[in-house]
Amino acid sequence: MPTSTDLLQGTLDLLILQTLALEPMHGWGITQRIQQVSKDVFQIGQGSLYPALYRLEYKGWIKAEWGNSENNRRAKFYALTAAGRKQLRSEVETWDRLSSAVGLVLGRAVEASQ
Amino acid sequence: MIAEFLTWIRFLIFRKKHSELDDELRFHLEQSIAAKVAAGVSPSDARRQSMIEFGGIETAREQCDRQRPGWWAGIISQDARYAIRSILTHRWFSAAIVATLALGIGLNTMVFTLVNAVLLKPYPVPNGDRLVSIAGRNLSSDDRSLPFSYPDFQDYKAQASSFEFFEAVTSEPGVLSEPGNPPDQYQLVRTTAGIFSMVRTKAFLGRTFLPADAQSASAPVVVIGYNVWQERYAGLTGVIGRQVRVNGQPASIIGVMPKGFRFPDNVDLWMPLLPMPNLDKRDSRTLWGYGILKPGVTSQRAATELDGIAGRIASQFPANKGLGMSVLTFQQRVNGGPIRIVFLLMLAAVGFVLLIACADVANMMLSRSLNRQREMSIRTALGASRWRIVRQLLIESVFLSTLGGILGLGLAASGIHWFDLATSTIRPTWILFTMNYTVFGYFAALCILSGLLFGILPALRSSKINVVDVLKEGTLNVTGHRGAWLSSALVVFQFALTLVLLTGAGIFVRSLLDRLAVNPFIPADQITTARLHLPEERYKDNDARIHFYDQLLPRLRSIAGVSHAAIASGAPGMGSADEQIELEHFPIANPSERPWISFVAQSPGYFDTIHLPLQQGRDFNQTDGASNHEAAVLTRAAATRFWPGENPIGRRFRLFDDKNKPGPWITVIGISANMVQELQGRDHKPLVFVPYRQEGWDNMALVVESAADPLQSMRKTVQSLDNELPLNEPLRLKDAIAEQLWFLRVFGEVFLAFALVAMLMASVGIYAVIAHATGSRTREIGVRVALGASRRNILFLVMRRGLWQIGCGLALGLIAAFPLTHLMASLPNGSLSSDPSVIFVVAFTLATVGVFACWLPARRATGLDPIRAIRYE
Repeated sequence: MPTSTDLLQGTLDLLILQTLALEPMHGWGITQRIQQVSKDVFQIGQGSLYPALYRLEYKGWIKAEWGNSENNRRAKFYALTAAGRKQLRSEVETWDRLSSAVGLVLGRAVEASQ
Repeated sequence: MIAEFLTWIRFLIFRKKHSELDDELRFHLEQSIAAKVAAGVSPSDARRQSMIEFGGIETAREQCDRQRPGWWAGIISQDARYAIRSILTHRWFSAAIVATLALGIGLNTMVFTLVNAVLLKPYPVPNGDRLVSIAGRNLSSDDRSLPFSYPDFQDYKAQASSFEFFEAVTSEPGVLSEPGNPPDQYQLVRTTAGIFSMVRTKAFLGRTFLPADAQSASAPVVVIGYNVWQERYAGLTGVIGRQVRVNGQPASIIGVMPKGFRFPDNVDLWMPLLPMPNLDKRDSRTLWGYGILKPGVTSQRAATELDGIAGRIASQFPANKGLGMSVLTFQQRVNGGPIRIVFLLMLAAVGFVLLIACADVANMMLSRSLNRQREMSIRTALGASRWRIVRQLLIESVFLSTLGGILGLGLAASGIHWFDLATSTIRPTWILFTMNYTVFGYFAALCILSGLLFGILPALRSSKINVVDVLKEGTLNVTGHRGAWLSSALVVFQFALTLVLLTGAGIFVRSLLDRLAVNPFIPADQITTARLHLPEERYKDNDARIHFYDQLLPRLRSIAGVSHAAIASGAPGMGSADEQIELEHFPIANPSERPWISFVAQSPGYFDTIHLPLQQGRDFNQTDGASNHEAAVLTRAAATRFWPGENPIGRRFRLFDDKNKPGPWITVIGISANMVQELQGRDHKPLVFVPYRQEGWDNMALVVESAADPLQSMRKTVQSLDNELPLNEPLRLKDAIAEQLWFLRVFGEVFLAFALVAMLMASVGIYAVIAHATGSRTREIGVRVALGASRRNILFLVMRRGLWQIGCGLALGLIAAFPLTHLMASLPNGSLSSDPSVIFVVAFTLATVGVFACWLPARRATGLDPIRAIRYE
């Protein structure tokens, strides 16, 4: 299992936005969810997670609120804003176009990459 | 989009609290530990692993901070506050730097304002950026400022599509006269009717031309300038409708133009261009064109179009063969050639001054960087990156240069004011020496760039230090030789540039002094000159004119206080006419091989008036110059040139006019001392005097010697004979000569000021470097003195480096100065001396000043008390 995978620039933002699209989550939850869903391929280093979260918040795509965690600790929950939802849609589109293009170059059927 | 922008603004203004991030990170860490403990790792190991996984908390925090919009502004403002504090702490040091830069940037802003006005800024009327001057052009030579004819103008105007407006003027002197008001001569243009709407200017009083005014049948009208209205009519509004005479012809004043309006160039009177007998001829070329280009049309394209039309005209009318057209901006038309070169030289000169100033400041900063090493090492030890330190030092430099620049603006303003006054009589009135956005842009760029220029080397040096060494040793001598090498190079560079500047200034001063020293026998402050123009309508031929002059002369001589009076075609030093000469018995068939002479036509008594000694033969008498009594007096130089080693008295020669027609044979009756008639130019032709009976011109100068100012009486005397005759260009000869030499005088003063500033800066520079070097060698000098070194040894030790620098600087400067003298001597107006001795004089001066600047700090070193010196530090 690779301990770290170099993520494409901007891909981390996409992953975070997609993860938050389901429900508001705190930072730890986001790393766990991404790791779990990606079957341990993506282990987000905390050193890059929080700058990314702050970047997205500063851009107005997510917003933060303090709340209580599952074990009743105070934690900061991030949620997608309307602008973030729009951003996610356009980033997913871009990603689909890119990956299918890469798939074409690599000689795979378009379906295979989806 | 809007929501995102608002968020951006919110975070730009409000910061998040640091504690928020800390809480969040702590929660994350605890979750991580808890997860590991749940997986069976012991709590202490789990904590350790989590900490390692997390990486630096500080780094994460900084990374998060950097995501904030405008986070860098905080850093910059922090640097700026630090810079201001450091500038204020070293108050005197900063003041010295600011003063140096104020001089450098101030001079540059001043000169750029001048260059901008003379070479770049559009004519100050609406649409001035599209206003062009249109003239004929000789296709086979470089002459691109020729007048064209009225039929040509009509063809161009009808066929050309490049212009929104196309108007034409012809200019002549205009004598304004009316009963009970003495006549005055002004600059008159006769112009096509659209000229005022072309430059979108309305009359200040009354009206400008209507199309009907340009009909030959309509009543003649004249529009006068504001200055005429003020000077001649004392600003009376009743002037509109007044009947006057312009060059003897009746006209009525219909309008007064606004103050400062002199379009196209120093014009006082405007009259409509009316059909005249010669106006419709193709070869009667008297018009100059002005136009407004259509938007987007370049002057090249317009010129190409006109050239095409010119070609069609030429194929139809052989008189126009070989003629094209040129379309240029006013600057290109008027300020091309030597003026342009001199202004660019000025810009180069002040550029040098600024470089010298920057080198000075860089040297000061370098010497201080020694003292700041501790500060820099502490900041480095506390984690400041090199880039951060360099950036902070550069911000400090740019602050200093901006402060200097703002002070320099005041200097620039007074310099511009001075130049404005110094050139007000000779420059076109449309050149306004005012600042505009271009100048401010240039100024801002100078402030920032010079700050970076002098700041970068010291900043790189200061930031490149071995922290441990500096903090441990605590001495001042860590920089070693590299810093010394750098500041030496800067001093050498300063001296080289200063020598070049001094050479340029020296050439101007030398040429000016040369010109001022000519004709020492003439009492220029006792002589008054004025020109008379006898109009053809009233003075039909030579006899009529001579008759007038013969009546005038005795009356001039009888004015109280006048010792001598005479009439000449040109006052001494005021230029002359040229003709080709042929000596008797030495015919030259090919006209282009005949030598040229300058000649002055004069009345009897001229030699006495200007105190020119006759060395041989006699003065003119009353019969000389009459038919068959043609006579001439030559200067000694002219006589030696044409009849070397022979007695020239009684020899004969003849002159050829511009149609290559020989005049009568002229006998040499006398030889005068040498005299300079032409102050401009270099290749002076042999000078010949002839009696005015021989060459009775309609435009002659009155030359009157009188201790008191005889001008009023001269004017009355002339107008008692002809009350419509104004006295033109009345001046004391001394002032007339000064006006002739304005170019040398004004630019001599300008370049001399630049060069002296440069020399001062270079001297301060070398003084500072030697003083600093001496200061940092105090202990060494003390030891040497204690060991028995003599004063002379110490003096040599300290000065050696300075002398080397001066020597190298002068050598480099000499290499550059020789080409400069050639460039300046080759300027087309040819009034600059090419004598290389100037270079050696200025090199010697600069060397003396430089050695003195070295000697001052060195002398202090020789006076050191060895005991105290050794304990120093």
